[in-house]
Amino acid sequence: MRALKDALSFGDLPIVERICFAAFIIFCFVFPWVTEGSFAQAVMIQFLVFCLYGLGWNLIGGYGGQVALGQAKNVGMAAYTVALLNVRWDVPFWFSTPLGVIIATVESFVLGYFLFRLKGHYFAIATICVSLVWQQLFINWDFIGGARGIELPLRETPNFVYMQFASPTYYHYFAFLLVLGAILFMNWFRKSKLGYQLRAINANEDLAESLGISIHWVKVKAYCITGIFAGMGGAFYAVYYNYIDPFSVMHLELSVMIALMTMIGGAGSMWGPIIGAMILIPLDRYLGAWLGGSGIVGVDFMIYSAMVMVIAAYEPRGIWGIIEKARRKR
Amino acid sequence: MEMFISAVVSGLLMGMLFALVALGLAIIFGVMNIVNFAHGEFLMIGMYAAFLTATGLSIDPLLTLPVSAGLCFVLGVCSYYALVKYLLKGPMLAQLLGTFGLMIFLRYLAMAIFGPDYKTVEHGVLIGKSINWGPIVISYSKLGTAVISVLAFIIIFWIMNKTRLGMALKATALDVEAASYMGIDTEKMRGIAWGLGGASVGIAGALLMNFYYVFPTIGMLFVMIAFAVVALGGFGSIKGAFIAGLLMGLIIDLGGTYVGPQHKFALIYLTYFLVIVFRPQGLFGW
Repeated sequence: MRALKDALSFGDLPIVERICFAAFIIFCFVFPWVTEGSFAQAVMIQFLVFCLYGLGWNLIGGYGGQVALGQAKNVGMAAYTVALLNVRWDVPFWFSTPLGVIIATVESFVLGYFLFRLKGHYFAIATICVSLVWQQLFINWDFIGGARGIELPLRETPNFVYMQFASPTYYHYFAFLLVLGAILFMNWFRKSKLGYQLRAINANEDLAESLGISIHWVKVKAYCITGIFAGMGGAFYAVYYNYIDPFSVMHLELSVMIALMTMIGGAGSMWGPIIGAMILIPLDRYLGAWLGGSGIVGVDFMIYSAMVMVIAAYEPRGIWGIIEKARRKR
Repeated sequence: MEMFISAVVSGLLMGMLFALVALGLAIIFGVMNIVNFAHGEFLMIGMYAAFLTATGLSIDPLLTLPVSAGLCFVLGVCSYYALVKYLLKGPMLAQLLGTFGLMIFLRYLAMAIFGPDYKTVEHGVLIGKSINWGPIVISYSKLGTAVISVLAFIIIFWIMNKTRLGMALKATALDVEAASYMGIDTEKMRGIAWGLGGASVGIAGALLMNFYYVFPTIGMLFVMIAFAVVALGGFGSIKGAFIAGLLMGLIIDLGGTYVGPQHKFALIYLTYFLVIVFRPQGLFGW
């Protein structure tokens, strides 16, 4: 009960932030009425999915300061579970999603249990390694379609059980609900014991341990929650795009995108991931659509890697850090 | 048996090159505790430099060695002064994602300039020739690469251990503050460490160009091998990097022969994973 109250109360935030948040919700709510079926709506849905990933990653990477670069494998596992069960055994979305999320979470738990014996750089490289192993396995594993991926069968009529709708608006609202849930969770999290413990670990691990925080256990817990978020995003991804392959959901590039996005927005702050996604996703999609014809590959990646370098060098707390600084000066 | 021997030989030869790639990473990590994710991209740039000079001037790829070594030295120094210097002041997250950003930037820059095609050098003293020793075939280019790699390794090892510069670098690695009290310009030392790291990987790139193709995303593959080598040898240990490089070459070639070529890179990552889980300090770390 207390947790629910914490999650729903935004009272401790400054008034400007509350207004912005309300505006964001209204914007997301109204958006599909204005743009139904357009490119903008597709971008918006992708933005929401990345918000979900980023909010999850922010837990371990931002609050916890543990650079885990393997979100994509959790996304991929859940997406593959949903797609595979759908294709092979006709299992409805609502059954396969919990299963996929559980698989992603269990993987996070097992991996986190071993990998959190490492610190700092070692941990980051290890997570990259593991996700590359998974990526290789998924590319070479024929049972799940190998490099070709899986295509979900199209149903004849719009079907709630398999999450197939005629209009992207339904997907929009579903993704929006997920993000809203994630934001409420984060709002609870930042005031929770776990949140304080994680931030203590980020600030000074030895000190945190001497205060009686079981750092290993706290990190593993946070990592599992991150896995849940990624898993939900992945399950949604599978039914929304109706097609998945190892390069779109399992790839290291996705993990990197998530981390860089959160870093640009502001790691370790409540709104950071959303700000990051708000900048990067439209930039990515519109630049891609605009430059795709002229044949220059990867300009979008160059722009945001340059942004990341500048931000990492001068303001490691990202755009949110800049906002906070300006606010304090005033 | 013959398959085994030829896998061992080719593995050892490749291992010497991996050792050289890993050496650069080990120096940088040893001196300032920062992991250079862009290391593989330095290799890629070294390879492109070698490719362009070799085809542009139509000279032997071996002669392009100083060009790519010099270019990568400058690249290393520049990235230290322009980026890493500032990253070191920030938290871990900024350090990691900062060099990660550099890596992605260089990769896609190469993609935009050179396109995603695979490119090779076709003519050269070593290219296309081999020693046939019964059933075992050793290609000249791999042998030459291995020999020059070892030479370069020895030179850098000598610089690190026997010269005043090397001592200053080591002092900086051990304790920055104490080193600066002794009159060592630690900023410069760190810059030089990045330069040396870049140069070693630049040499490796020019050598690799003799028998491998270059493409913009080649960096990821080699940087992961280098991470695995450095982790196996112990972060910051130069001797460890050499032995681990040989071991890694063996693992890749034997794995490619007996497990299947499509899984050999998964094997590298798996090795790395097992090492850090069971012996995080590596073979020669402390």
